Amino acid sequence: MKRRELLINIVKHVLLIIYALFALFPLFWMLLISFKSDAQMFNTTFIFTPTLENYDAVLLRTDYFRYFKDSLIVSTLAVIVSLLAGVPAAYALANYEFKKKEDLAFTILSFRFAPEILVVLPLFMIYQRIGLYDTYTGLIWVYQLITMPLIIWVLRGYFEDIPIEIEHAAQIDGYTWWQVFLKKLLPLIRPGLVSASLLAFIFAWNNFTFPLQLSGTNIETVTVASLKYLASDTVHYGQMAVAAAFSSLPAVIFALLIQKHLVRGLSFGAVKG
Amino acid sequence: MAQVEIINVTKRFGKTTALDNVNLDIKDNEFFVLFGPAGAGKTTLLNTIAGIYLPEEGMVKFDGEVMNQVDASHRNVAMVFENYALYPNQTVYENIASPLRSPLYKQDNETIDREVRRVASLLRIDGLLDRLPHQISNGQKQRVAIGRAIIRTPRVLLMDEPLAHLDAKLRNYMRSELKEMQSMFESTVIYVTHDYLEAISLGDRIAIIKEGKIVQVGTRDEIYYTPRNEFVAALVGEPEINIIDGTLVKENGTSYIKLEMKEELVPLPDNHPLTKTLCEYDTNEFHVGFRPQSIDYTFEYKEGYLKGSVYNFESLGNKAVLTVKVGDTFLRTLAPYDLRVQLDIDIYIDAPITKGLFFDSQTTELIGSYDDAKVNGNGTQE
Repeated sequence: MKRRELLINIVKHVLLIIYALFALFPLFWMLLISFKSDAQMFNTTFIFTPTLENYDAVLLRTDYFRYFKDSLIVSTLAVIVSLLAGVPAAYALANYEFKKKEDLAFTILSFRFAPEILVVLPLFMIYQRIGLYDTYTGLIWVYQLITMPLIIWVLRGYFEDIPIEIEHAAQIDGYTWWQVFLKKLLPLIRPGLVSASLLAFIFAWNNFTFPLQLSGTNIETVTVASLKYLASDTVHYGQMAVAAAFSSLPAVIFALLIQKHLVRGLSFGAVKG
Repeated sequence: MAQVEIINVTKRFGKTTALDNVNLDIKDNEFFVLFGPAGAGKTTLLNTIAGIYLPEEGMVKFDGEVMNQVDASHRNVAMVFENYALYPNQTVYENIASPLRSPLYKQDNETIDREVRRVASLLRIDGLLDRLPHQISNGQKQRVAIGRAIIRTPRVLLMDEPLAHLDAKLRNYMRSELKEMQSMFESTVIYVTHDYLEAISLGDRIAIIKEGKIVQVGTRDEIYYTPRNEFVAALVGEPEINIIDGTLVKENGTSYIKLEMKEELVPLPDNHPLTKTLCEYDTNEFHVGFRPQSIDYTFEYKEGYLKGSVYNFESLGNKAVLTVKVGDTFLRTLAPYDLRVQLDIDIYIDAPITKGLFFDSQTTELIGSYDDAKVNGNGTQE
């Protein structure tokens, strides 16, 4: 029996290691080529003379940090706007009864269905007309399509999990509606708030289509800026790898942070056993 | 401490009417029980008093002051919820302290600490103050919920089936605890339950509610001995009352009642106002209710007793319910728990007519009873 368990364990681990190699290999490959010079790019695989030239070229000799800053501003503000509008919306969808409620909820979700490429061209023309083209406001606005539905739908579930009696109890305890919301409800939805915000941030950060079409030279996000290393004559794979590695950093860091918060269930067992 | 008046309150949810023209007058410092089956509107009424729901019609008054325009936080009521509604992310200490931390009833930290510890020791949960709600048992949660309610002195303390989710043993224990605590609540208590034992053991007065309407308000004796109709009679009392068809027969100037399971006629007492009422009633058909404990039984033949057979014997721990089949009628009676009995054996029973409650067979309203000693006040009708 013991031997069997051991065997099963070994098989499990071997399979997991194979999967880990499979999943991490592209990232590893990207790191690898970021240390290769253009000359060694195609004639070496694992054995080559490592160089920091690509890092020097991307980080010090181009405006990479400006793109990084643009990405940060647009994504962060997009998430904040989504939270300001989305949290009350999620609360309303969870707790109030009104006509066409489910239709409205579905409409919000359906923003995520439309292929971005489908709407981006008309948006481009509209943005040109109304002066939102190549502005922070314009990008933040259009990013709501990505971030808002996510936040509303995740938080709606959290609000629905909170028994309405908790709100009633807090009101009877002498709290006004706002205080009930801030002091009693917000702590309960915090895990959802954090994970949905981080996820929304990552989605916004990774977006490529919208900034490609709706921003020009004023605002360039890292995803769009990575294209700069595709010159017409040569492709600087090494530099692209550096840019890509850096632009994936926030996603990796936040993904690691989320893991902790993805554990739902704080409000489970809130009122019963 | 407040006297609560509910005047013509109607509450609707969409097309369903949850409360239908409810009128109640609850006295200051009274322990008032709202008792009824599930879905009768008990919790809705409680929420209406608390200010969580606004009634479509009618008024809620505290000490004569109309509360309709006052929101829940300003009514100075406290409530113990059926599911306790503790704040899951806050410790027991913070849960109990919550009302005193709110802007409305704000106290300094020293007072809060003293009060929380006073209430906790009163409820014997002082050892749990640092725990989170999910780390304590249901019975303890329930006490925390009570603690949160009584830490300040509310005008009205509302309790919504606080014992419903406890196991039987704990429920019995907490029921007697609540009875002891009653004196220290020092406020008007309105208590909702669907459990008959809780209702009669706790309530100074009991209101029976059915489908959003108040059926009867009275003391435990009033609702037990003079139930307003068959619904109340069936709801109050365990095991349930036996309701039997009876026909009034007049022969040679004497009135008899013929019960459905009995061949012979049972003479009705002469010169009793009830006999007169029954004779003058516009129908001969009545329903007669016999409480299980007023049905006598014996296993030996006895003169005047009816022969039947034992249909079922159900032990309830300290007593047992014996179901007897007489003809096509089933009658429940009380038996000692240690009675050894075989099914289908012969049994002789007697249901003395003087113990019967007479109901109108159409409206199911109570007409009266011969058991004069018990009728010491008619249940008020509202």
